Amino acid sequence: MPELLEGKRIFTLLEVSQGIQQTIARKFPEAYWIKAELNKLGFYAQSGHCFPELVEKRDGRIIARLDGLIWKTDYQNINRNFKKVLGDELKDGIKILFLARVEYMPEFGLKLRIVDIDPGFTLGDFEKERQETIKRLQQEGIFNINKSLEFPLLPKRIAIISDRDSRGYQDFMNVIEAARETWRYNFFHMLFTASLQGEKALATIPQQLDRILKVRQHFDLVAIIRGGGGELTFACYNNYELSKKIATYPLPVVTGIGHVTNMTVVDMVAHESAITPTKLAEFFIQKFHNFSVPVNEAGDIIRNQSGRLLSEVKSKFESEIKLFRSVTANLLSRNRNTLRENMHIIRKDSLTHLRQQILHLNQNISQIKSGLKVVMKARKTELAGIEKNIENMNPKNVMKRGYSITLLNGKSLTKSADLKKGDKLQTILYDGNVLSTVNTTSKKKEQ
Amino acid sequence: MKGEPNYTDAFEELQTIVTEIEQGEISVDELSEKVKRASYLIRICKTKLHSTEEDVNKILKDLDSSNIPQSGLDV
Repeated sequence: MPELLEGKRIFTLLEVSQGIQQTIARKFPEAYWIKAELNKLGFYAQSGHCFPELVEKRDGRIIARLDGLIWKTDYQNINRNFKKVLGDELKDGIKILFLARVEYMPEFGLKLRIVDIDPGFTLGDFEKERQETIKRLQQEGIFNINKSLEFPLLPKRIAIISDRDSRGYQDFMNVIEAARETWRYNFFHMLFTASLQGEKALATIPQQLDRILKVRQHFDLVAIIRGGGGELTFACYNNYELSKKIATYPLPVVTGIGHVTNMTVVDMVAHESAITPTKLAEFFIQKFHNFSVPVNEAGDIIRNQSGRLLSEVKSKFESEIKLFRSVTANLLSRNRNTLRENMHIIRKDSLTHLRQQILHLNQNISQIKSGLKVVMKARKTELAGIEKNIENMNPKNVMKRGYSITLLNGKSLTKSADLKKGDKLQTILYDGNVLSTVNTTSKKKEQ
Repeated sequence: MKGEPNYTDAFEELQTIVTEIEQGEISVDELSEKVKRASYLIRICKTKLHSTEEDVNKILKDLDSSNIPQSGLDV
């Protein structure tokens, strides 16, 4: 009861609190379904109770705020249910539909005592945001921009947006490192650290994307990597602003954010998306294989084919030589045969010819011989006649027959006119000489 | 071709030579030249697979020259 002091009715705090408590209990007799944003969960590990901060926003501005309270046992039930439906625990920054009593406790003040939360509402809210983001990006015609960028033939320079401590990053790096050891595939990667969930992700991921843009010439693409996690942790990847940023990013963006059920919008607008970081790393390695295998095969193909080409040419050449050799050998032997035949013919013919010639010659010789004999005989007779004539003409023989030669001064005398009386004449007779002197001369009368 | 081709061009040119040689479109006269070129291209491609020229320090320097606050992040 209030006490009176100097005419004033004075209440204790408890009395006022109890008054409020009774009023509120009267006004709000039952539990109500309320929808709000779970700004902060306010879980206290020691007690196991939660002291959430519930807000309602309009155009990003808080227009209502109330503190909540979830007792340990309620929290455990709610969380179990949440995990079952969403694959995730209750978290900050999600929209919830909860069953709560409006309670006022003198020691704690006004609290919404939450006894149940409907995980289906939260899920639906995510799905709603997801659908709205997809629709909006499609309407703006930017949904496929990143997808239409030319993907590098060899994605080797990777700007990684992740967190060094996240399991996804470790998984990714393990595969990349194994590839370096196994195939000597050398990726260049650089970590740009960002938060990977919730409001912080929505702030830091775009921030890092902006930084990467400054050094974009050093990178082939951007990989957003995070480990697994429940459905709730993916909420930010359906955010319109982030999705738009990635859809319109000038470098190809790939994601490996380990989602369980539906693809997030970020996955959908990214150039490539893998279910897990491990799968994403394997995707990169496959790209290297796709490049490496033909390069290695090219060596073999070129070696084999050029070897085959050379041996083809060589064997063609050899067979040409063989053909040439056999053709020339044939030709030679044919010519040789012809030659031999000709020689034979010539030999045979010439022998015959020679024989004929000899025969002919012999005939000629004998003809000549017999001709000669006749000629000789004729000549001999002729000669004998001549000889006889000559003999007959010999002065001696003439002188024998009574003729003589008269010489005057050693010369034969034929003209009487040359003589004068007293000339000494020598007369040669057959068997001697007579010397005489001229008395007279007379000239023989012309007849 | 002038200078060293980038790996995409090298890869494509290599594929062309492989196709040509596979289809027997290369004469013995060209063979030596093509094989020489192919092995050069293979070397470029393999280098790209197995090495990297990027310099982290250079990237960091480029990043530092930016006006965007680093905000205590790893890089």
